[in-house]
Amino acid sequence: MKKYDVDTIFISCITENKDDFYRLAYSYVKNQEDALDIVQESIRKALTSLINIKDINAMKSWFYKIVIRTAIDFLRKQKKLTLADDETIDFLSKGKEDTYKDLDLHKALDELPIMYKTVIILRYFEDLKLEEIAEILEENINTVKTRLYKGLKLLRITITEEELVNE
Amino acid sequence: MNKKLEALKKEYKDVPIPKELDEIIAKSLPKKKKHRYVWPLGVAAAAMLFTTAVNVSPEAAQAMAKIPFVKEIVEVITFHEVKEEKNNTSIDVRTPAISGLENKVLEDSLNEKYIEESKKLYEEFEAAGENDRLAIEGDYEVVTETPILLSIRQTIQKTQVSGYMQHHYVTIDKENEALLTLKSLFKNDQYVKVISENIKQQMQQQMDEDPNKSYFLTKQDVEPFTQIDPNQEFYITTDNQLVISFDEYEVAPGYMGVVEFKIPTDILSEILVGDRYIN
Repeated sequence: MKKYDVDTIFISCITENKDDFYRLAYSYVKNQEDALDIVQESIRKALTSLINIKDINAMKSWFYKIVIRTAIDFLRKQKKLTLADDETIDFLSKGKEDTYKDLDLHKALDELPIMYKTVIILRYFEDLKLEEIAEILEENINTVKTRLYKGLKLLRITITEEELVNE
Repeated sequence: MNKKLEALKKEYKDVPIPKELDEIIAKSLPKKKKHRYVWPLGVAAAAMLFTTAVNVSPEAAQAMAKIPFVKEIVEVITFHEVKEEKNNTSIDVRTPAISGLENKVLEDSLNEKYIEESKKLYEEFEAAGENDRLAIEGDYEVVTETPILLSIRQTIQKTQVSGYMQHHYVTIDKENEALLTLKSLFKNDQYVKVISENIKQQMQQQMDEDPNKSYFLTKQDVEPFTQIDPNQEFYITTDNQLVISFDEYEVAPGYMGVVEFKIPTDILSEILVGDRYIN
């Protein structure tokens, strides 16, 4: 594989999916300026390790991974990281299934611990397969499934096993 | 899909994309490689001829330079400038020309090469379609001018989604009216090895000091840098140091851009033909 080709594929991958990458970054930091910084920083990181990429066909997933890590690093530095403390989880779990809660649905997603939020975004908004998510998060598929269930439960969204895997 | 999820997805997808995104991406991505520049044969042959004459008899060359008649000033002028735009495609190229050399053969061959190159760029501009979104920019700059030396850097940038930049150098001995090639500076071919080893050390050192820097140097890289081309692009600084220049992608990932290495004179002194240019 010539290094020119890797660069070319990378360039097209970024240009074609830039909106997806931006939205993913935005979903963590919730403001335009920081999201742009994260996209830029992710590209920089990707370029340094591009020569070591194993599977050139999985470049999009590979770049998702970089965006997620960069965003989490950023939040950690800003100390904005929502830790999965028991109190939050209890609070989110105990509420009853109320209809007016829909208004707070977005807030609930944002307040969800990052590990749950990430799988929900990748699975349902970015339409990735469970295997791809497992690859990105470097976890096994069962862990990803468990996190999806738990995350949906915290959002009080009920879903069938079939929907979880196939939708 | 579940209604709540549907609503969340819609909200997620509705996040507006700022117009700055394109700008930031274009700035961060490596420049797309278009094609490698090939030095025209005629010029290389002419260069050999003149440099040989200077090398064979430096005394004669010195003597020639001292012939007491009023010399014209050797300088670089803008020969031609073209600026045009059509269907999403643009060109803005300044063509340099060297004037004042008595050696008209050298002067003409260098200037013809510049004109030829600008013509090619213009043809490329003419041929570009609406969807190519091609922008061509060409400019030149005198990087070194001493009583003896004149180094001209020519920059060509082609932008298509992202850009690709090339640097070409011409260095002439104004007194002896000769074009300098890298080879002509050295006694023998050993220079390739000596310079390459030094560059490798510099690459390693830079990467150790700054994790953001990256060169194709290790075995993991697909085409690690092994040695310079005998005719590698180079110029000589005002304080008589040799600088070796690499195109984008040649020895480093695209984001590093065009990279240059200053070669310490003390490692070259033994193999240099003399200390007229580099010292």
